[in-house]
Amino acid sequence: MDKPLSHVLLIEDNPGDADLIRLRLVEAISDVEVNCVDRLTTGLDSIEKKQPSLVLLDLNLPDSKGAETFRKVLSRAPGTPVVILSGQDDQELASKAVHQGAQDYLVKGDFDGKQLARAMRYAMDRQALLTSLDMSRKQQLEFKDQFLSHVSHELRTPLTCIHQFVSILLDGLAGELKSEQRDHLETAMRSVNQLRHMIGDLLEATRAESGKVALSPRCMSIADAIRQAVAMFRASAERKRVGLEVALDVRTPLVYADPGRIVQVLTNLLDNAIKFTPPDGSVVVSTRLFETDKEFVYVSVSDTGRGISREGINLIFERLYQDANAIDDSRKGLGLGLYIAKQLVQRGGGRIWVESQAQQGSAFSFTVPVFSLDKLLVPVVSDGGKLRDVISLIKITLKHRSHVAVNWDGSQQQCLELIQSCLYTGRDLVMAAPSDGLNQDSFLVIASADMNGAAVIEKRISDQLHLEEEFKTACTLETSVREMQLPDAQAGESLEAVVHGIAEQIMHSPFMQNGNLSSASN
Amino acid sequence: MSKAKILIVDDDPDLRRGLNLRLRANHYDTAYATDGFSAIAMAQKEKPDLIILDIGLPAGDGFVVLDRLQQSAHLSSIPVIVLTARDPQFNRERTMKAGATAFLQKPADNDELLGVIRATLAPAWPGTMSHATN
Repeated sequence: MDKPLSHVLLIEDNPGDADLIRLRLVEAISDVEVNCVDRLTTGLDSIEKKQPSLVLLDLNLPDSKGAETFRKVLSRAPGTPVVILSGQDDQELASKAVHQGAQDYLVKGDFDGKQLARAMRYAMDRQALLTSLDMSRKQQLEFKDQFLSHVSHELRTPLTCIHQFVSILLDGLAGELKSEQRDHLETAMRSVNQLRHMIGDLLEATRAESGKVALSPRCMSIADAIRQAVAMFRASAERKRVGLEVALDVRTPLVYADPGRIVQVLTNLLDNAIKFTPPDGSVVVSTRLFETDKEFVYVSVSDTGRGISREGINLIFERLYQDANAIDDSRKGLGLGLYIAKQLVQRGGGRIWVESQAQQGSAFSFTVPVFSLDKLLVPVVSDGGKLRDVISLIKITLKHRSHVAVNWDGSQQQCLELIQSCLYTGRDLVMAAPSDGLNQDSFLVIASADMNGAAVIEKRISDQLHLEEEFKTACTLETSVREMQLPDAQAGESLEAVVHGIAEQIMHSPFMQNGNLSSASN
Repeated sequence: MSKAKILIVDDDPDLRRGLNLRLRANHYDTAYATDGFSAIAMAQKEKPDLIILDIGLPAGDGFVVLDRLQQSAHLSSIPVIVLTARDPQFNRERTMKAGATAFLQKPADNDELLGVIRATLAPAWPGTMSHATN
């Protein structure tokens, strides 16, 4: 906690104030080096070159004003203490910055050298304390993760044994079963499966908390994910005589999300909905679009269950929350499902909430970002604000043998990285495209190159894939290339509008119609 | 047609026994090994069509076994399904890189396990890796 206060960065545009502060600093603190700049951009550059031990910051500079100034400094130098220099008239702004993470503020003209030195010393100490707290929190999470990973391994081993032998009995491998015996064993098996999921959830919850859950967003069909999740619950809904319906808005666009995680969120919501809905009730999964919020698709899982209490609504997404009034088997479980769902939705850039009426039912809704090719396309189709003449589309389809499909999750990511490594970073673009076959993966490369350039990229990708033993034995590769002339920008048309047009053209090109990208958008 | 032979490598006697029962009921021949060292010896002796391999093993863990199998000219073509209680987040990629054909976490569904075994033992598709450009 006693780092030397050796290098102070003073960002202050008023030369009189700057000189005075520098003088006071040098008087009060021996061996201090003061670097004085009068613009935010120069200040940020200076931070880049040499991390200061403290920043003295005037919020209102010629090139940045107010809270924004502080945010920019904070994002460039996280962990460096910042003391705000405020004028008599903008103390409120300064105190806001303190709430956002600045260590202190001083009113210019109101302090002498000693006071300045003391404020800075305390700022350093507080920052050091915060940093070490944050570090120990991270260490704790890391430890918890390792601990749970270890524990769940140890729990899984005996559980596997129970699972194995109960299933051997159930499958009649040790002789015929009477119906009562079968009944008892099926009860045991249900508990085994429940335990299995709980063990998985424990780890998942810690990972969600420490931000370690791996998300691989891509262009995907939310409709497919919903159908997949609903299919998993058909049997259990029928057993309970609960209706299970899907109501999709016909305009539902493709979204940008991790398909596995979306299915996981839906699974958690559906599991709850069916659990809390009495026989002859119904559960509906729907998608909606709102004119006022075009960037998101709204997905809801609503039920005709008994609803959630008022205090429940506030707490339901918290860890370990369980409805105190639940009486039946709905009490079973760790109370982690919704917590995990919330973390996954938020990590994916969406939000999740619940609406409920007593005895009428509940509706859990979450939002998923709409896939926008526009944003990704800008650096591909333009160079310094000027539109290129031509780009190329390369479609790569990997058809793989069935047994590899089981492990494809990781490999798809690997494949994406491999293709990425063959591209010009920041200029060419690759994305995983939704696939209509279980045993194939499609990728689309959008390259800022003409047909000849694209052929080189295509060869590079094909060569790279052939080098990977795993792909060579597991896949057949198909590629096709198409050149695309870009339109001349019309006078008055913004780059944004042109890019949007190109994105539309790519999504609806006959080249894509043959493939899989468009098949999911109906 | 003779039965396919599966080598079970697991140090837990109960799990070995259970898996053995399950596989035999599905008309596979089985052999087993209890540690990493004997896994290689058994693979050489029994020449199995497939190996089901645990990771946490005495005398050379699953990764060591995968490595030795890969290095052996006679054994490297035997497909290996890794069946472990370990965390997929840290082990799936690693086992696949080390040469495994599939990764399943314990307890695995029997249907899933048998499905993967069948798919792995099925004859390979003709003409792997064709390169069509248009």
